Amino acid sequence: MEKNESEMITIYVMGKKHLVPADLTIMKAMEYAGHQFKRGAGCRGGFCGACATIYRTKGSYKLQGALACQKIVEDGMYIAQIPFSPAEKKTYDVRELRPDASTFLEYYPEIARCLSCNTCTKSCPQDIQVMDYVQAALRGDVEEAAKLSFDCLSCGLCAVRCPAEIVPYNIAQLARRLYSRYIVGPTEHVLKRVEEVEAGEFDEGIEELKGMERETLQHRYETREKRL
Amino acid sequence: MKLPYYPGCTLKTTAKSFDVSTVATAWALGIELVELPRWNCCGTVHALAKDDVMHYLAPIRNLVRVEQMNDEGLVDDNRVVTQCAMCYNTLKRANQSAKEDLEKMTKIRDFMEKEPNYRGSAEVVHMLEILKKIGFEKVSDRVEKPLSGLRVAPYYGCLLLRPREFGIDDSDKPSVMEDLLGALGAEVVDIPFKSKCCGAYHTVQMKEVAADLSHRILSQAAEAGADLVATACPLCEYNLGDRQKEIKKIFREFESIPVVYYTQLMALAFGQGEEATMFGENDPDPRPILKEGGLI
Amino acid sequence: MSGYPDSMQESMRLVEETRAGRIGKSFPSMTAEEKEKILVDWHPDYRMDQKRRLKIGPSKGELMPLEVANALEAHPAIKPSDIDLSSISYDVDVLVIGAGGAGLAAALLALENGIAREGILMVQKLRLGDANSKMSQGGIQAADAPDDSPTIHYLDIIGGGHYVNKPELVEVMVKEAPGVIKWHEELGVIYDKLEDWSMQLAPGGGTSRKRMHSCKDYTGLEITRVLVDEFLNREIPYVEFTSAVELLMDDMGQVAGAILYDMDSDEYLVARAKSTIVTTGGFGRLHIQGFETTNHYGATFDGVVMAYHAGAALRDLDSTQFHPTGAAYPEQIVGQLCTEKLRTRGAQPLNKFGELFVYPLETRDVEASALIRECYGRDNGIVTPSGVRGVWLDTPLIDVVNGEGTIEREFAAMFRNFNKFDIDIRKEPMLVFPTLHYQNGGVEINVHTETSVPGLFAAGEVVGGVHGKNRLMGNSQLDLYVFGRRAGRFAAERARKATVGKLTLSHLDRYEKLLADAGVETDRRAPFLLPEYRGKRTLEHQLKLL
Repeated sequence: MEKNESEMITIYVMGKKHLVPADLTIMKAMEYAGHQFKRGAGCRGGFCGACATIYRTKGSYKLQGALACQKIVEDGMYIAQIPFSPAEKKTYDVRELRPDASTFLEYYPEIARCLSCNTCTKSCPQDIQVMDYVQAALRGDVEEAAKLSFDCLSCGLCAVRCPAEIVPYNIAQLARRLYSRYIVGPTEHVLKRVEEVEAGEFDEGIEELKGMERETLQHRYETREKRL
Repeated sequence: MKLPYYPGCTLKTTAKSFDVSTVATAWALGIELVELPRWNCCGTVHALAKDDVMHYLAPIRNLVRVEQMNDEGLVDDNRVVTQCAMCYNTLKRANQSAKEDLEKMTKIRDFMEKEPNYRGSAEVVHMLEILKKIGFEKVSDRVEKPLSGLRVAPYYGCLLLRPREFGIDDSDKPSVMEDLLGALGAEVVDIPFKSKCCGAYHTVQMKEVAADLSHRILSQAAEAGADLVATACPLCEYNLGDRQKEIKKIFREFESIPVVYYTQLMALAFGQGEEATMFGENDPDPRPILKEGGLI
Repeated sequence: MSGYPDSMQESMRLVEETRAGRIGKSFPSMTAEEKEKILVDWHPDYRMDQKRRLKIGPSKGELMPLEVANALEAHPAIKPSDIDLSSISYDVDVLVIGAGGAGLAAALLALENGIAREGILMVQKLRLGDANSKMSQGGIQAADAPDDSPTIHYLDIIGGGHYVNKPELVEVMVKEAPGVIKWHEELGVIYDKLEDWSMQLAPGGGTSRKRMHSCKDYTGLEITRVLVDEFLNREIPYVEFTSAVELLMDDMGQVAGAILYDMDSDEYLVARAKSTIVTTGGFGRLHIQGFETTNHYGATFDGVVMAYHAGAALRDLDSTQFHPTGAAYPEQIVGQLCTEKLRTRGAQPLNKFGELFVYPLETRDVEASALIRECYGRDNGIVTPSGVRGVWLDTPLIDVVNGEGTIEREFAAMFRNFNKFDIDIRKEPMLVFPTLHYQNGGVEINVHTETSVPGLFAAGEVVGGVHGKNRLMGNSQLDLYVFGRRAGRFAAERARKATVGKLTLSHLDRYEKLLADAGVETDRRAPFLLPEYRGKRTLEHQLKLL
C-alpha cells in the first residue's frame, strides 16, 4: 500500500473498542485489530455467507445485517458476527416431492406463521425480497420463490431475525431444487449426448487425438474451426 | 374496466377453480382483473385481533400495493376486488381500522419505515358488489346457455354479511346471489340457513362441528329441492363440499349434493367450457346432475 | 455520484467517448509465436527469480514458485511422538478431506456405490461447501450442444493446456461432462436456459464452441449449495472446523486415514480409513509473488503438502493460473474475481486511452500476460490512488450489445458487489488486473483418481495433469464433479476389499530426514491451515497463555 497514513476510526467488536483504518471492510478491520477468523470467514468475496454480521451505527438503535467481507466500517460501528444459526434443516428426497405448497407446509410447517412483517427482507445483505419468496412458497408458486431467492447465500440473518421462527433460506433451497427438477425438467440435448457417449460415438475421434504426435496435434488445434 | 385483483392464498392452491372462473367470467363482462404484482397472505382472521399490531401488517401491506398499482399506472381504480370471503372480510376490516385508528397506523408506519406508507385511499370490494354495480341485466345479456331447470340454493356463509357494517348486502335478507343466479336463468331455492355458519376454521381441530353445521345447511337445501348449492367462499366450499365424507360417517342417511362456486355457474351459463368452469375440481362432482339437466 | 475518484474520471471519459466506435470491433488473436513470446516476457510463471527447484521428494529438481517450495520444504505440522495412534476416534471405509464440490460429489458417490453412511466421514476445515467451488462465477463446460462434441472439447483442452495434459484424464473428463450436467439437473441445479428450454451456452477463452453452462454469474454457488443440501439430506457423517493436518499411513505403505485437528478444542483426533480422498482445493492464500487472490480463506495448499509427506507424486506445479480480470478497484475488493463471462458477453479490456489492446478471449495465461504488459511494459494502465495498476473492462458494452437488463440478469453477483461501492457496472467500466486464481498442477492421479500412494485418492483443484499448464474457463467446475464422482466410486470399490495394517506416522520422520539431508533449515511448518492477516502490532505482541 503506497498511500499515506489512513484516517483511523473507532469500532466496537463484540463490545470491545478498537482503533482501525477507516477504509477497511469489517473483516479486514477485525483482522487489523488482531482477530484471527476461524468462524466467520469463508470466500471473503461475497459469495458464501460465512461472514454474516449484525451491526449498529453510531446514534442509531437499528440492528442491520451485512457481510463482513463487503461492508466498510464506519466510526462508532458496533459489530457482532453471527457465523452460525441453529436453524433446523429437514431432510427429504427431492425425487419424491411434489412442486406445490403442500411440500413446504409438510417440511417447514412454520411457514404458515409468516406475518408479512418484512423483517427478513430488511436484514438481507443481498437485497433479496425474502418475504415475497416466502409468501410465494406459501401459496405454491415454486417458480416465483426460486427466481426471487436465487441470489441467496444462506447467510442466516433472516432466520435469526424472523419473529415467526421461519428459516427462509431453507425454504428457498427447497423451492429452487423443486423448480429445476419438476418445472424446468432435464434438457433434451444433454440426455441425448449422454446416450451418444455411452454408445461410444466419440471413442474413435478421441483415440485419434490421443495418439497424435505433438506437432500434428498442435497443427490440428491451431487450425480448428471456431463456431462462436 | 381494469380492477386490482387480490386472489388470496386459497384461490391459488386448493380453490383454483374459483380463481380461474372468476377471471374468466369477469373478462366476459368486460372487466380485466389485474392481479396485484406483489401480494402477501392477508393474515386471515388472526389479522384482526385488535391489540395485535404485527398482524395488521399483512392486510395493510396489500392495500399499499393497491395504491402502488395506481401510482404506477397499472390500473386507474382504487378499489381492490377479491372473491375469498375471508380475505374480503380481513382486508375490509383492516382498511377500516387503518382509517380510524391513527395510533395503530402510526405504529405500523414506523415499523414499515422505508416501505411506502398506506395513504388510506384503497377500497375493498367483493366481486358480487361489482356485479351488482354493473347490473344483472348485463350479466343476463352475456348468458348463452341459460341454466333453465337447474335448482340452485345460494349460500352466503358468515363473512360476506357480518359484521353488519362490512356486509356486502343486508345481513338478514341478502339477495345479491339470488339476483345473480336468477340472471343466469337458474331456479333459485331460497333456504333459511343460507347465511348460517358452516363451521369455518373449526374444520381443522373439530371437524365434527363443521360436519354437523354443514349437514344442517345441506339437508335443508336438499329438502327444499335444490340440485346443488352455490357458494362464494372457499372455506364454505370445503366444509359443505369436501367434508361430505365426514358428514356421511356421522349421519348415515345423508345423500350427497354437489357444491360449486357461483362463478363456475356463471362460466357455464356464459358458455365458457371446462377450462373456465373446472368442474373436475369439485368434490362431490356436479357434472352428473348438470348432464342430467342437459346443461353439459 | 461515481464510486471512482477524480483522478480516474478523465480516462473513464475516454472509454465512454470511444465506446460507440468499438461496438462490433475486435482485435486480432495472437499467432502461436506471439503467444509464446508474451508468456515468456510477461507471465509471472516465467519470472525465474520467483521460483526455485524443489530439494526433496519425488518432485526433487522440479521448478516451482518460491511460496510453493516453501510449503513443501517445511516441517510437518505435527510430531509423531505427540500422537497416540491407539486412540482412534473415527474408523471408516471412506474418509473425504475437504467439503468443496469435489469432496461433496465423492461422498455422495461413495454412498451410491454401496458404502453405508456410517462408513463415510467428511472432514472440513471450515464449513461444508466453503471452498473455491462456491465462488466460481461464469460457468461449467460440457460438450452437449448439437454442433459440439467431446472430441472438439478434448482438442480445446489439450491445446489450452500446452499439450502436456494427461490424455487419459482429459478423455474421461470430456466424455463424462454431459453426464455431470445431467446429474446436476436431476439434483435440481437451475441452469440458464433459452426460451426453447435448451441450454444457454456461451464461449470462453480458448474454446472453439459455445460450451459454457451457467447459473447467472453464481454458477459455483448454485451447484455447491444444491450438493450441500443433498449431502445433508443423505445424513452422511461430517465434522466442520476440523482440519486434516497429516495423512496416516500403515506398515504396508498405504495411506490409512488422517490425523485431524479440531480447531475449536485444539485437540487431535485419529481417523482411520480404508480409502482416503483428498479434495482440499487450491493455494491462492499462499499469495504467490505477492498477488492478491480470488480464492477463499482456506485455500492454503494443505492437501498437496500432506500427500507429499506421504510420498505422493506431484506434477505441473511450475504452472500457476492468474485470472486476467481480478478487481483492481476499489481497494477493498482488489483481487476478487470478475468472471471471464463478462468478456464472452462483450466487455472489452481497454487501456487508459480507451483502446482495445488484445483479443478479449485469449487463453487465460496469454490474456493475463497482455494485461500485465499493458500496465507495466507499455505504462498504458490506469493507476488508482493507492497505487494499484489496472486496465478498464468496458462492461456497459454488455447491455449495449445484448440489450438493456442483461447485466442485471446475467451478472447479478458482479452488479451487486460493485454497487455496494457505488460503482454501477451498467454505466461505468470496471478496473481489472490479473489475480492469483488456480493451481494448475498438484497431486498426480490416474483415471481412477488413485495417487501414487495406495489408499490415497485425489480430485479437484488439488490434482495436477488434467489441465496441463493452463486451465480453460469452466473446466475447473467440470473437473470437480467428474473426478469427485470417480473418487467416490473408486474409493468405495477399494474400501470394500482393502485391509489396513498397523498405523504409523513414520513417514513424517522420513520427511524430516529428507529435509535434514537436503540441508533445509527453517522454522516453517506445513500445512499451515489459515493465512495470517492479523495486524502487525498484534503479531509482534503474541503470548499463548490459555
